[in-house]
Parts: sequence; structure tokens; C-alpha cells
Amino acid sequence: MLSVETLRDWGADVDEALVRCLNNESFYLMLVQKAVKDPNFDRLPEAIAAGDPGKAFEAAHALKGVMANLALTPIFKPVQEITELLRSRTDTDYAPLLSEISAQRDSLTQLF
Amino acid sequence: MNNRNHAGRMPDLQERNRMRRILIVEDEFVNRELLKAYLEDKYELLIAETGAEALEAVRKHFDTLSLVMLDLILPDMHGLDILREIKQDPDLSRIPVIVLTGDTESEVESLNIGASDFISKPYPRVEVILARIRRSIELSENRDLIRGTELDQLTGLYNREYFYRYAEQYDLYHREEDTDALVVDINHFRLINERYGKAYADVVLQQLGAGLLAAVKENGGIVCRREADTFQVYCPHREDYESFAEEVTAAASEGLKGRIRTRIGVYSRVDKSIDMERRFDLAKSAADTIRNSFSVSVAVYDNALHEKEVYAERLLDDFQEALTQKQFTVFFQPKYDIRPEAPVLSGAEALVRWKHPELGMISPGVFIPLFENNGLIRDLDNYVWREAAAQIRRWKDTLGHAVPVSVNVSRIDMLDPELTETLRNLVKENRLEYGDLHLEITESAYTQDAEHIIQIVSGLRELGFKIEMDDFGSGYSSLNMISTLPIDALKLDMLFIRTAFSEKGNIRMLEISLEISRCLSVPMIAEGVETEEQMLTLKRMGCDIVQGYYFSKPVPAEEFERFLIQN
Repeated sequence: MLSVETLRDWGADVDEALVRCLNNESFYLMLVQKAVKDPNFDRLPEAIAAGDPGKAFEAAHALKGVMANLALTPIFKPVQEITELLRSRTDTDYAPLLSEISAQRDSLTQLF
Repeated sequence: MNNRNHAGRMPDLQERNRMRRILIVEDEFVNRELLKAYLEDKYELLIAETGAEALEAVRKHFDTLSLVMLDLILPDMHGLDILREIKQDPDLSRIPVIVLTGDTESEVESLNIGASDFISKPYPRVEVILARIRRSIELSENRDLIRGTELDQLTGLYNREYFYRYAEQYDLYHREEDTDALVVDINHFRLINERYGKAYADVVLQQLGAGLLAAVKENGGIVCRREADTFQVYCPHREDYESFAEEVTAAASEGLKGRIRTRIGVYSRVDKSIDMERRFDLAKSAADTIRNSFSVSVAVYDNALHEKEVYAERLLDDFQEALTQKQFTVFFQPKYDIRPEAPVLSGAEALVRWKHPELGMISPGVFIPLFENNGLIRDLDNYVWREAAAQIRRWKDTLGHAVPVSVNVSRIDMLDPELTETLRNLVKENRLEYGDLHLEITESAYTQDAEHIIQIVSGLRELGFKIEMDDFGSGYSSLNMISTLPIDALKLDMLFIRTAFSEKGNIRMLEISLEISRCLSVPMIAEGVETEEQMLTLKRMGCDIVQGYYFSKPVPAEEFERFLIQN
């Protein structure tokens, strides 16, 4: 069962996020459950696989904003990293970052 | 159509007292829900999840929206493109937009395009967001209030005073760009007003205002109503204003009873060092040059025109002093009777020269038309008559004889009720014969106010003055009329001589003119004759008297004595 405490243990900056959610815990938890299903989680690897760094950047950038707003730090960090690499169109192997994001997302889903 | 200009429609009091309306454009559920949570009890919220939805909502609610909060990454288009659409549309541009972004790069660009502020992600504390929203709305509403006083009530355009301020601001942001100042007038607006009434005339003004605004929309620029039926435009330079004029006139005439006509004065590539108001005065002066033209609708102000104006003003200013200081000198150009085997001196024309102490010799071709336009020519003519009459007296005294001297009598002189008396006194004071003075009156003077002129000229002629019709052939008088005019000689327009002896060699007009002089039994005088060939041709054709450089240029009185002595 997802709770503020399990999120905190998982690595989210719950205090910061709660301030942003007007100190409404259930509102926060609802948003986190929605965020995990954000379609950009799928669009990002698809765009990279398709060799479309522009689209990939947009997906990463959008995810970054959501993760930052909810202070989901374990996902936010690799997403931020991949966003910057995509912004500068860095030619690198994105697989490790993608799997990191995917793994963190899975671990968050485990909490539900 | 009113108020379409820059401010859009201002919400009325009742609307203001209701909850202000904010459009949130955000496709991410989480971000959207957070904003809704922050704002929903303070504002009425509209939500758009795509760019298309956003534009539709902005257009539908443009007159009641207090703010747009705009995410930059949307599924169908980029937020900056939406921002551009809003800021470039006069109906929408007054709506403040706060951009939602996590990028500093986009922040700068969005501010440049016209965003009021930005809010970054992750969102700052809710109090910060609320304060920024409040401030953006407040600023825009204050600006709307100010704009209410900046606008011309009828057309919704800037009024003149604020226009100049905005034009100066425009310069600040377009320092390196060539810019044009335009003044647009409606031809015969007074008549439109009188004929169709004020309500109709107001529609004409509104449509012209809207037409001008539409015409500058693409390339940018600002428009105002200067006064009455005069508008001003300040916009990026363009080479051709004919199509601009066409476009504006068509827009302004739409649905009206007749096509309105405008005249546009353009001060092209303005000199940004000169005063803003002055730039439009220059454009106005260009527009005024085509006030009476039916075929020309665009006049471009140029420096030559400017210099000419400044020069003309200087001459007008200096005129009285020049008269009292006798800077004007009367020169004499001999006229020769070419009928005898050897040409015989038969008279002279008195011509005025102005030796300006600073500007040097000024051509009469420059100052005479100028003085003719404002009545100063009367004083100048009087001066020349006095000088000429006194000179004839001196020649009679020193040489024992003289020749008749012709002087110019302008149309304006004819309006002087004292004219006959003045001329008669001159003759008496200098103990001359009336026949010593020939009066040159242009053909156009007769045609403009025929009856009055004929009456005066007849009186002068009865006294004994000889009358020469000057510039014959340029005044379009009918043959019927000429036959009734009181004249003693025809003086051929110099243009006929030039045409007859030009490469084309069209001597037909010359022949007809000579025919007329024979019919009227008056001598024909040809001026502007420069070569022997011209003189001989004229002689062969039957011309009586010749004046021109072939015999002599106009010379000072002392030099002219030489011709009198030889005679």
C-alpha cells in the first residue's frame, strides 16, 4: 500500500513534495500513482530506438518536470541526466540510463 | 471594429468584479492538477491539453481572459508558437501569458516573444506562483487602463501624442532598421462629410484606420490618427508604396458609396537624429505636394525637396530687406526688329536679378514663382517698374534717346485697384510717353479672370501703354477669345522655339502662331533665340521681333547703353 512513509523510504523528497501539494497527503499519493503511468515513460525509449532525439528530448523533458514537481528523486535524477544529454544531442549509449529509469519506475510501482 | 487596435476590448466593471478567468495549457496530468489545486478557488479556470485546444479557447474567450499559463511542450505544437500567435494577433495580444518551463533558454526566448513572466518546474512555493499571477494580471489591467486614454475613440488607434512616444520606443527596438514615416490623408474628406453626413464620414475614418492597421500587420509598425482625416504610420522601410496605397484604399472603401481616394506622403528611411514630430511634418509636406493631383496618390519626401523648401523659406524671409537694400537689379535684354535687311534695336525687356549678399546670384526662375505664390511679386514688380521707368528717363537725359522697355505685369498686379494709377504716375513722374513702357501680361492671366483683366488692360491701352501678350501659346486661350483681346504684340512662349528647333523639328505650332499674329495684325516677338540659324528661320517664316542670346543676354543698364549708342 503506497504511503508517504514508503515513498520517503524509497527516496522521494516527501517534505518538499507535500508543500507543493498543499500538504494534502492523499492528493500527493494520487498524483504519484498517475505519474508512474505517464505515457512519456514509453515514448522516451521508443523515440531513442527510432533515432529521433528531438522527440526523445521532449518526452524526457516533460517527465523531468513531473518527477521534479513530485520530488520523485530516484527517477528524477536519471531523467534529468538523459534530458541534458538529449538536449545537446550527445552521441552516446542511452541504454544504461534508460534501464536505470525503467528500474526505478518499477521499484516505485512495487510500492503500490 | 472599434478598439481592434492594440488593447482589445477592455473587460467592463461587472466582468472585473466576477472571478478573473485563467486558461491553463498543460498536457501533463500532474502539473495540471497541481495548478488547478492552487488556483481553482481564486480564479475561474479553463483547461487546454493541446495547442489546438489552447488557441481555440484563447480566440473564443479573448475578451474575458485575464491570463494564460502556457506549458511549452505540448503534444501537437510548441508552446512558443502558441505564444507567437497570441502576441501577433491584435485581438489577443493584450492577454498576459505566463510560460511554464524548466529551461532557462526557453525563458529568455519566451520573454522576447512577449511572455509576461515564467514559472519554472519544479514549481516554486504556491505563494510565489500566486504572487506572479497576480502581478501579471495587475500589470496588464493597468496597461489596459492607460491604453484607454491613449486611444482615439473613433478609430481605436493611438492618438497623436502617444503615437510619438510609441514611435520613439519603436526606434529603441529597431535601431539598425530603416524606418519610414507616412502621413495619409483622405482626398476631399470635407466633401464626403458634407455630402453624406458625419456618421458616414466616421465609418470612412474607421475603415481607413482598420485598413492601415491591416496593411502594417505583416511587417510591423504602428498607426495613429493624427487629426481629422489625417493618419500616421511608422513602419519598416519598403521601396514601393503604390500597392500599399491600393490595399489601404480598397479596404477603406469597402461597402461605401464610392471609392475613397487617399494621398500618402512618405518620408523614407527617416533620419533618426531628427525630432520624431518633425519626421512626420516632412512626410506631411510630401503629401501636401499632391493635394490637388488626381493621378498621383503617393509622394516621397526627399532631401532635394527639403533643401528647396528651406531655401524658399530663406528667400521669403530675406525679401523685404533685399528690396530696401536694393539687392534686386534690373537688367535689360535687347529686342531686335528682324524685318529690315539689318536687324534694328526696337526695345528691351526689363528683367530682374537678385544678388543676394550670402547666396550670390539667384535665378529669377527660382524666386519669381515663389513670390507669385504669395503676393510678394507685387512689391517686386512695382520695384522693377520704378527702376525701369527711371532708367528710361536717364537714357533720354544722357543719350537723348531711348527705346521702349517692356515690364512684366503679373496676374496678381491686376487685382490691385491702384494699378492704373501707379503706372500712370510712373510715366508722369519720369516725364515719359506712355508708349515708352510696354506691359507684358501672360496669356494665362487673361484666361483665368478674363473679363476683369480685359477691362483693366483696355483702360491701360487707351492711356497709351502698349500691351504684349507674354508666353503666348501656353495659356490655352481660344482663337475666338484672342481676337477680342486688347493687345499690341504676341510674345511667343519660349517652349515653342525650343520645340521647333529641337531634334524633332516640329515647327507646326510656330507656323500656326505666326499665322494668328498675322490675322490679328500684331507683331510676333520670339524670345529665347540663341543661334543665327534660329534667327534666320524665324525671319523667313515671318517673325517680326527677336530677343535672345543670339543678340545679347540680359545686361546691366550701363552695358545696354552700348546698344542704344550703336542704334
